[in-house]
Amino acid sequence: MVQQLLSPRILLVRTAAAAAVLVVVMLLCALAGSESISLKTALTGAHEGGTTNSDYEILVHIRVPRVILAAIVGAALAAAGVALQALLRNPLADPYILGISSGAGLGATLAIIGGFSWTLWGRSPIAIFAFVGAVGTVWLVWGIGRITGRFHVTGLLLAGVAVNAFFSAIIMFLISVAKGQQLHATMFWLMGNMAEEEFFVLWIGAGCVTAGVVSLYFLAPQLNAISFNPEDARSMGIHVERVQLLAFTISAFVTAVAVSLSGLIGFVGLVVPHAVRLVLGPDHRQLLPIAGICGAMFLVIADTVARVIVAPAQLPVGVVTAMVGGPFFLILLIRYNRKVSWLR
Amino acid sequence: MTASVHVQNVSFAYHRAQPVLKDISITVAAGRFLAILGPNGAGKSTLINLIAGSLTPRSGTISIDGINIRFCRPRELARKIAIVRQGSVPVFGFSVAETVLMARTAHYGPLGFESEIDRQCVAEALEMTATTEFASRPLASLSGGERQRVFIARALAQDTPILLMDEPTTFLDLKHQVGIYDLLKTIQVNRSRTIIAITQDVNLAAQYCDDAILLRPLSRPPGSTKGSDADLCRCQCRIGPASDVLTAGHIEEVFGVSGFSGRIGKENFFVPLGRMAKDAIRDADP
Amino acid sequence: MKKWWILLVVFAAWIGLGCVLLRPRHAGAAFEKQPSRAPARIVSMAPNLTEILFSLGLDASIVGVTHDSDYPPAAAQKPTVGTFWQPNIEAVIALRPDLVVALDFEQQRSLAERLTRMGYKCLTLDISTVDDLFDAISAVAAATDRSQQAEQVRGSMKAKMAVVRDKTAAKDKVKVLWVVQREPLRVAGRNTFINELVELAGGENAIGQTLHVYPPIGGEQIIVSAPQVIIEPTMVSGDVHEQDVQAASFWKRYTTVPAVAGRRIHVIDGDLVSRLSPRLGDGIEAIAKCLHPEVFGE
Repeated sequence: MVQQLLSPRILLVRTAAAAAVLVVVMLLCALAGSESISLKTALTGAHEGGTTNSDYEILVHIRVPRVILAAIVGAALAAAGVALQALLRNPLADPYILGISSGAGLGATLAIIGGFSWTLWGRSPIAIFAFVGAVGTVWLVWGIGRITGRFHVTGLLLAGVAVNAFFSAIIMFLISVAKGQQLHATMFWLMGNMAEEEFFVLWIGAGCVTAGVVSLYFLAPQLNAISFNPEDARSMGIHVERVQLLAFTISAFVTAVAVSLSGLIGFVGLVVPHAVRLVLGPDHRQLLPIAGICGAMFLVIADTVARVIVAPAQLPVGVVTAMVGGPFFLILLIRYNRKVSWLR
Repeated sequence: MTASVHVQNVSFAYHRAQPVLKDISITVAAGRFLAILGPNGAGKSTLINLIAGSLTPRSGTISIDGINIRFCRPRELARKIAIVRQGSVPVFGFSVAETVLMARTAHYGPLGFESEIDRQCVAEALEMTATTEFASRPLASLSGGERQRVFIARALAQDTPILLMDEPTTFLDLKHQVGIYDLLKTIQVNRSRTIIAITQDVNLAAQYCDDAILLRPLSRPPGSTKGSDADLCRCQCRIGPASDVLTAGHIEEVFGVSGFSGRIGKENFFVPLGRMAKDAIRDADP
Repeated sequence: MKKWWILLVVFAAWIGLGCVLLRPRHAGAAFEKQPSRAPARIVSMAPNLTEILFSLGLDASIVGVTHDSDYPPAAAQKPTVGTFWQPNIEAVIALRPDLVVALDFEQQRSLAERLTRMGYKCLTLDISTVDDLFDAISAVAAATDRSQQAEQVRGSMKAKMAVVRDKTAAKDKVKVLWVVQREPLRVAGRNTFINELVELAGGENAIGQTLHVYPPIGGEQIIVSAPQVIIEPTMVSGDVHEQDVQAASFWKRYTTVPAVAGRRIHVIDGDLVSRLSPRLGDGIEAIAKCLHPEVFGE
């Protein structure tokens, strides 16, 4: 009889275990930072004897929100990466491949340079412009790519490359015209930055990302078949076009949320799906939840390193993820080469 | 369960200037085994894909059990037809069991997991194609022939009344070629399945199949002047019982090759002969 | 199909719950931090703000500065809270400040917003022009109850500026090229506070109006603009002599430019002129010395 197929019980056990590890990691990372704080002092309350308890302030108002934010963004990018790799049948895909990065970057740059100061629901204009830019660009790329045919992945990728190049050029021009401070702000945004957010924003963000990951999980069996071969998937009863559109939209939305919260953080969406697939196999019913949790863990740790390693200054998170992700990716490539796989 | 296929006046072209199929009409009665043969470019794969619903005909209708497939949703169609195409190497490392299980995707429960029935279908399919030993191995680690058997197992696991196959025995060694045809015949007879298979093996087709089509490419003979449409589609397909269609004369005409035909017991066979072979035979037997 | 509806309902409920429970409020922490008339613990987020605070006599109240606050020398002894570009919010909070003074640009503005949300008192100042500088000094004085000292500081600054103005009033305006970066070549355009300083020192920017604030220019424009004086501020203070040598060798190829021919390439201390601070008068004087040496002597 066939063994080693995924069963609900195995999936539940693995997901629960991963989630438990994530919570522990988040707690530990919340205690690490450029200022040394003690948990005991922090837990004595918001103020002690008339003065503010700075340990409490730092832990509850700075660290915890930031760790939660990192978890949300990491999960979003990893899950979107899994879905896009499946849809594009390309293990080198990442959530930014279809123009999201340059679209969001352009939106953010315009907001910074335009110097808008109004806010929407307490969200800065940069986040909103970035979100709109991301979503609009994806829509544009999808529209262009569709012209080349139904399951035609190459057309979509090429459209993404073209749009990325064009928007990047505009960004570069805007940067060259920018005043010094705006320039710096733009560059830091483009490198990814984590700042603590209000709990309301975190709540909404967590809701959106979780809903996105769960929806993608619902599509997981179809993604399995589509990632194998879309033509065959159709013959097996899957409404390929509908699933592609839905999965694509959800991934783009989730990525846009992540980017609007924290700028462009690379490598999470590329490396985490790979690593999880290497260990657990390509079944998307497992890949989606576990990669999401691992993505959260990865980014929480990366952000903590970014905060601590050159304290009191901070590295942009994107630098840490790239420095880890780059060599990791090389190692993966070398291992893949030896294993039986697509490089043959 | 069983089903019939009815292709009615179907025409198809990939590009407007180059029609591939013109006004084809075929009926495959329920429970019959049909072989499709013909030279490269004749439109065999196109025909199969049309029947499977992957392509849409420019004109004409295709119906299964009387229902026009154009009005069927993919899920409904997938319960009627399973198709084995030329196999591909997957990008991701799915195992054999996972690959075959994909055929049951339409039957999964709400949480996206298979049931006991699905697993049994898979186990049976693997056993029928002698691939059970590969169940946990990655698909990419198998040879071309072994992969082909897995794809056939996947189509079998889909448990449909109609099976379409695009050259199912390419890459297979002799034992497995015969084995697959034995399997298909068994299924056809025991479970009343309708099977349509494209093949290049004239003899196996003659042995196993009830009916056959010889499909001609729809193109002007080289050097001809602009003739009327009627000239073009002069007899694109010749369909009928296998013994009637697969005669030496017909084969030589459609394929443009000559050969040696004979009979063993009730079975006809045809051996194509190239120039060197013919010269050798002539020299040996003046 | 049902699972999608369930997901949608749960998601909507989640969002609704969030809107009800966690609607963003504006008074962050429960503990209201009473701004006392004279804040006892002040954190400064920029070097020029530090200078302003010191000039108002608040050195005892300053509990934290950014890393690059190097003037006056006493400032360098204070605990640091990150850099000008990357302020460290945790360090700021750990110092339990009564007042945080910051500049009005993206990084610092968002820091001030975050701190305000948590209940800290923040003063955000936009110092892009000379007038802004005077306003800022008044604003800081108002927040720290030092209006008297502010008068004195402003008075002495204006006096120095008046001296320079009087001495250069009768003179022709000297055309200046202010080089902020040599490779690639970037100069200060008309839209900068540097331009203001140059004009106050009796000079005029050799470059006309440009789209860029710090336009990158090519060799052509250098020749066409024909500056009489080239000024390069040092990036790292104290390196004046070495940059002098480098500058001389870089510029000698532009033999047709009046500044080069007349050997009027000056490297001055960047600190004085890279920020708008109470040392404004000294900065303008330093520039004026380069432009009208005959009036100011060496």
